[in-house]
Amino acid sequence: MFAITLFAFFLLKALPGDPVLGLVGERAGPEVIERIRRELGTDKGFAGQYAGYLKLLLKGDLGRSYYTNRDVLTEISSKFPNTMILAFAAMLVSVPLGIGLGFLSALAADKGSRFLERSIDTISISGLSIPVFWSAIIIMMLLSLKLKLFPPSGTGDIRFLVLPATVLAIPATATLARVTKTTVIDILRMPYITTARSKGLSLTRINMVHVLRNAVIPIVTIIGLDFGSYLNGAVVTETIFGWDGIGRFTMEGIIKRDYPVIMGCIITGTLVFVVVNLFTDLIYQYLDPRIRLNVKKG
Amino acid sequence: MNHGPGTVAYVGKVLTAFALAALFFSCTSSNRIEGYVYYRLNASPSTLDPALIADVPSATIAAKLYNGLVRLRDDLGIAPDIAMKWSVSADGLRYTFHLRKGVRFLNGREVKASDFKYSFERVLDPATKSPNTWVFGKVEGAEEFLKGRAGEVKGFRAKSDYVFEITLKKPFSPFLSMLTMPPAYVVPHEEVEKWGADFSSHPSGTGPFILKKWLPDRELLLARRTDYFGDGSRVRGIAYRIIAEDLTAVTEFELGNLDVIAVPASAYARFRNDERWNRYIISLEGLNTYYLGMNTSRPPFDDPEVRRAVSVAIDREKILNTFYEGRGRLAEGPVPHLLRRWKTGSPLKYDPDRARRIIREKGLTGMEAQMYVSADKEVVDLAEIIQAYLERVGIRVKIKQLEWSAYKEAVNRGEPDMFWLSWWADYPDPENFLFPLFHSRNIGPGGNRVRYVNKEVDSLIEKGQYAVDEKDRDLFYQKAEEIIIEESPWVFFWHKTDYVITQPWIRGCRVYPVYSMDKGTEITIHSAANRHETGPRGSVGSAAEDKEVLPSRDTF
Repeated sequence: MFAITLFAFFLLKALPGDPVLGLVGERAGPEVIERIRRELGTDKGFAGQYAGYLKLLLKGDLGRSYYTNRDVLTEISSKFPNTMILAFAAMLVSVPLGIGLGFLSALAADKGSRFLERSIDTISISGLSIPVFWSAIIIMMLLSLKLKLFPPSGTGDIRFLVLPATVLAIPATATLARVTKTTVIDILRMPYITTARSKGLSLTRINMVHVLRNAVIPIVTIIGLDFGSYLNGAVVTETIFGWDGIGRFTMEGIIKRDYPVIMGCIITGTLVFVVVNLFTDLIYQYLDPRIRLNVKKG
Repeated sequence: MNHGPGTVAYVGKVLTAFALAALFFSCTSSNRIEGYVYYRLNASPSTLDPALIADVPSATIAAKLYNGLVRLRDDLGIAPDIAMKWSVSADGLRYTFHLRKGVRFLNGREVKASDFKYSFERVLDPATKSPNTWVFGKVEGAEEFLKGRAGEVKGFRAKSDYVFEITLKKPFSPFLSMLTMPPAYVVPHEEVEKWGADFSSHPSGTGPFILKKWLPDRELLLARRTDYFGDGSRVRGIAYRIIAEDLTAVTEFELGNLDVIAVPASAYARFRNDERWNRYIISLEGLNTYYLGMNTSRPPFDDPEVRRAVSVAIDREKILNTFYEGRGRLAEGPVPHLLRRWKTGSPLKYDPDRARRIIREKGLTGMEAQMYVSADKEVVDLAEIIQAYLERVGIRVKIKQLEWSAYKEAVNRGEPDMFWLSWWADYPDPENFLFPLFHSRNIGPGGNRVRYVNKEVDSLIEKGQYAVDEKDRDLFYQKAEEIIIEESPWVFFWHKTDYVITQPWIRGCRVYPVYSMDKGTEITIHSAANRHETGPRGSVGSAAEDKEVLPSRDTF
């Protein structure tokens, strides 16, 4: 964590641009700029600024935004739940859809149904290739402007959630479908599947117990990675759909060089990734007994 | 191997169930509040503390929450606000304001002259960290107070509860105009002391609206104030939705979820060419100047002849009418047409042969110049057009894109040979387009980013500032502008026109040349056309239905 803050702080300071210039408007002379730099402490050297920030951090304080003077921790606390809701919603769409499509494609390949397999592959490759801003615009035009099904922007109940969650789910669904397909195809060729079939087990039982259970590790890895990245905010999706989340907040902080905001978001993001990865690792143990830690007894 | 149709059917069922659930939860109604006018802001206001305001979204909101001594009239003259009347001494140094009685802050306390003294000194107090100290920089004793050498500003005097006096160090003709700006709004000391750094989120002013709700980055609601001392609002409130993306804002507008939006450049042609909408577009030539700046502090652009060559090498009129779709007025000089009370000499005309000749005579054919631009799509496209024009006369331009903050820093430091910028009026006076931009005292972040130094121009601008008589002032400004046009530190491009589009049910909406002029008290919602409660599903239809019965507005 310490290394992350140091590295992030170094990168921020290495970037060109000065937060004070954005803060003072177009008319402030050099003396006003110097005075505000002094007051914000950005006139100190790297070590001085970093030490000041660490001191603040140790007190559990992320500082105040240079621009709005609002407490960064409070801001992040109010925006993070929105990001979490969006991430969960996107996963809710992408996980069943991605696994379903991947499974279907693998079964179609196995069955020799080339048309179905190619159709699903085309969908998943398109989902991976289409940029988010483009799919966001198309979905907004179609579902909001033309069909008038959902409001185009805002943060709120499920109506506002559907469009951003769908857009965010598209690449995740495509990735999951690809991974699921390749994994399931491999598993279907395994001897234990042939054995299961020869034992006369039902199709559902073979697919759900023998195939899916064995395909779950790479799938969970992908879900963990996607979820971690969504929890750090989806900048483009949040901006286009006006979703008040961490991604938009971080982006605005970066554009304005609002150092306390950027640092706060980086620290939160790092923590989120650590927690999600830890959680994913713990899940592995339950899904696959081979991964469980060897505990030697007596 | 055959898995039969079972699996396919199973997955299909799951997908269908999911799609049905999504449709079930969806609905079309929007969360509008009845009687509120909905506007779009493209960024969240940074602060609602008048002393700290340096951005347009914040200033737009603050104008509706606070008042100052004076405000701007429609013709950009000065009108009474909290001051009923005022007088200026013959030497132009002393301004005496007589305040209205019965003007109250939100907490119920009456505004007294001492509140103005407190509010203005607060802007100059280093503890406030205000970027707007320059607004009161010309007041007697301001500098001493700012540097901590005096306990109060000598030039601010509350002569009685209702008489406030300001004394300047030297006469300064645009001073009254400057008093219409947000830093000159009055605030109650007890509320500032109570909230400290959070006063920004708990504004307590005298304006026609009060802050009802503020969800930063989402929405800001202003409710009508019933005890406002002036003409109050005709709507129950104003809602500002923070929408960063232009396309999203246009979609929200077309669905009827927003009542008024500034027309984004990307949607301009579409609305203009759409019969349903073009009658609801309102426009006003803006108090701004867009320019290509040239660094006059070093070769080759330290030579006015070379700068003139650049000016005549570019067909600005063609660019304005084609690329810019005519969304502005060709600039003759730095001062916008609306503020210029004099005639300029003949502006530089497009003459590529002359430009080529000058460049050749100076031995500069094939020279390289770096043009810095911000990473804005429209600006980058424009830079490429300029690049092509200059290439034709023998100047090879290298375009360098920078993100806004880095761009501003580089331009302030004088790094680029050329750069693209615009200047917008803080207050409506020609001085605002001359002193900050061309006086040698303001080189760099102060506004003179082309680092232009001309003693005669400095002296003429100063004489204009000190002149008490308006005719004398205009004469000095005219001479200064003529020299600037002749020496061409800028290629003067255009004064951008502001376009706003409203829903058919909106009346009384106007485009204001300065953001502080809009108090939000003129706009109304036409009750017969008020169909917001139907939500997006019916809104676009209403726009079309109302077309015949509504009077037409300014059209193209």
